[in-house]
Amino acid sequence: MPDNGRKPETVALTIDGREVVVPKGTSLLQAAAGAGIEVPHYCYHPGLSAPAQCRVCLVEVEGAPKLQPSCVTVAQDGQVVRTDSDEALEMRKGVFEFYLVNHPLDCPICDMSGECKLQDYVFAEGREHGRAHEPKRVFGRDDFGGDVLYYGDRCVMCTRCVRFMEEVAGDPRLTVVERGSRAVIDTFFDQGLEGASFAGNVVDICPVGALVSKEFLHKARAWDLDHTPSVCAGCSQGCNVELHTRDNLVQRLKPRENQEVNGHWMCDYGRESYEWINRPGRLESPQAGRGSRRKPTDWRDVLGRLHARLQELRGAEVIVIGSPLWPNEGLAALDALAQAAGQVSRRVFRSPRAQDEDPLPGFPLLIRRRDLAPNVDGAGLLGFDRDGSDVGEGGLDGVAAHDGILLVLGDELRDQSEEFGASAALFVYLGTHDSPAAANADFVLPVTNFAEQEGTFVNAQGRVQRFQQALRPPGTARPAWLVLGALAAALAGNGPPPSRADGAFAALVAAHPAFAGLDYDVLGVAGAPLADAGAATAAAAGQRAP
Amino acid sequence: MAISVKVMKRPEAGRTSYMRATLKGMSLTLKHMVRPDSVTLEYPEEQPALHPRWRGTHRMEVHADGRPKCVACGLCPTVCPANCIRLVGGEDDQGNRYPIVYEIDEFRCIFCGMCQEVCPVEAIHVGRHFENAEYTRDRFVYDLDRLMEQDHATTLLWDPSDPRSE
Repeated sequence: MPDNGRKPETVALTIDGREVVVPKGTSLLQAAAGAGIEVPHYCYHPGLSAPAQCRVCLVEVEGAPKLQPSCVTVAQDGQVVRTDSDEALEMRKGVFEFYLVNHPLDCPICDMSGECKLQDYVFAEGREHGRAHEPKRVFGRDDFGGDVLYYGDRCVMCTRCVRFMEEVAGDPRLTVVERGSRAVIDTFFDQGLEGASFAGNVVDICPVGALVSKEFLHKARAWDLDHTPSVCAGCSQGCNVELHTRDNLVQRLKPRENQEVNGHWMCDYGRESYEWINRPGRLESPQAGRGSRRKPTDWRDVLGRLHARLQELRGAEVIVIGSPLWPNEGLAALDALAQAAGQVSRRVFRSPRAQDEDPLPGFPLLIRRRDLAPNVDGAGLLGFDRDGSDVGEGGLDGVAAHDGILLVLGDELRDQSEEFGASAALFVYLGTHDSPAAANADFVLPVTNFAEQEGTFVNAQGRVQRFQQALRPPGTARPAWLVLGALAAALAGNGPPPSRADGAFAALVAAHPAFAGLDYDVLGVAGAPLADAGAATAAAAGQRAP
Repeated sequence: MAISVKVMKRPEAGRTSYMRATLKGMSLTLKHMVRPDSVTLEYPEEQPALHPRWRGTHRMEVHADGRPKCVACGLCPTVCPANCIRLVGGEDDQGNRYPIVYEIDEFRCIFCGMCQEVCPVEAIHVGRHFENAEYTRDRFVYDLDRLMEQDHATTLLWDPSDPRSE
């Protein structure tokens, strides 16, 4: 639609007896979807072109001589459309029967079972029993390379994968080979999908179990997974994703639509970077005491003692080491505690950076960014500076000799020696896993990772995005903002600390002007840009520059 | 309400004879000795006839080549109300999906038979079987090999000639 400032033209039509008003140029399928009527479809995908070849979105349009494919029929003023007329249902039933002639119906062993569109549509509209007696043709399966496995028998030839690789990935590696019932999707000779960094999306858009992920194969049943809206923690693009969990473990990531960030897509790097969330060996209870004197204790005791220690050292020099894997709330609370405790001399984070960016040609907003952590920009806005090398190590000059307060959140200090923090008057380590470099910590506090709490990240576009809690935290681990917020409030003596994530976010907005005007509820699951997103990201980029 | 005590009038001790009652009882006993229609089953020499829908300990059906029929679809651990089935699916070297781990805790099992009812490939069955004694408790967690070894009759959850009970 041309954006010339005029009100977009609309058309009014009737779909299944409902009056629907849609912008001019909308397809019948989209208009019906807007009215809450789902028309079956395979070849149509909102992020791809519509070739109208699957023939399952046929609907009756009054005045048209025959059924129309709703994915390419443009809504007209005064049109009367019936998606559930006897004729349309009968036709679709016939189409689904043809699809099942050669479909193996191996739902019990198919990874797509439970989210398969063939299963859903046939169950809703198809025949109760098949009438085909002929043996089914058998192709077996084909390894496409990368993470993708192709089961030709299950394929419905919608060609979404072919069009994705051509139109969106800009790398036409898939094609249809042969014709009729012998048609299969194939790669060009032995080229495969190896090295195509967005190829994992063909598994998501496949409406049936023809393209499945090798990584997820036989791991869990799709119908047995819990879905939680979240944000990918792979890079600072912050693609909107769903965490699919089972048995309190993340089993896979699936992209969640957000046209401002990632469209319908996500990169393979992000898709595969979730194992760290499931890493075992977590810190489960607070501990106090350096080295061999360390003893597990409880939160009441440890917070009381830590508070007393911070009171004693009031006004000391404070060095803060954060991590861009932690949400804004935790980093802001860390900053608030440091400011309440003494003179903050340095706020740093270390984070790995990739050599280059990886854009998706067909959806220019989506780029796998150089920063391989979700909240690098949020940390920048909250006053943290990048330190160390592009592998997330090194830096921290002068921290070894620091004799004030040392606060570490989330950074596991893998490259540091056991002498780290030995001269600090107070060394507090908040993390998910114990570390050899935390041997000198006076207090080791277990905190939750991002999947075990709710919160917000700021992505590279300057967009604040909310994610929800997907997993139960281990033991007595608590969100960092809860622990640090309680300490900061007790030290500063300014009212009760936030007890919920929205309160923590409100405290963050009040303390940091860059976040001004944002409201936790308004962020929703789609997020919202910072008031001055451009300037904020430019400032953050400036801070990040080596 | 006042409590009233009813005093039974019995003959004094030494003034009554139990001979008649004894003889009556003995006659019944002796009658049973000679009558063959007793309900006692001479177990274990005689085995009881179990009902076709008797639901006892499980059995896994196998293919002719010895592989389990189970395809690790995950329906039985999901439907199991007692949560007694542990299943980890995988793929064998021929590309067939099969259960790497399939364990049923028969102590936890409530023998509802829903695992058999839900199985899409008719692999897991409850059995017409009741002799489950073991020397140790851990033997009651049946693993896949054990389930495949079982050779007792399986339960008919429905009449094959009348699957809808019409």
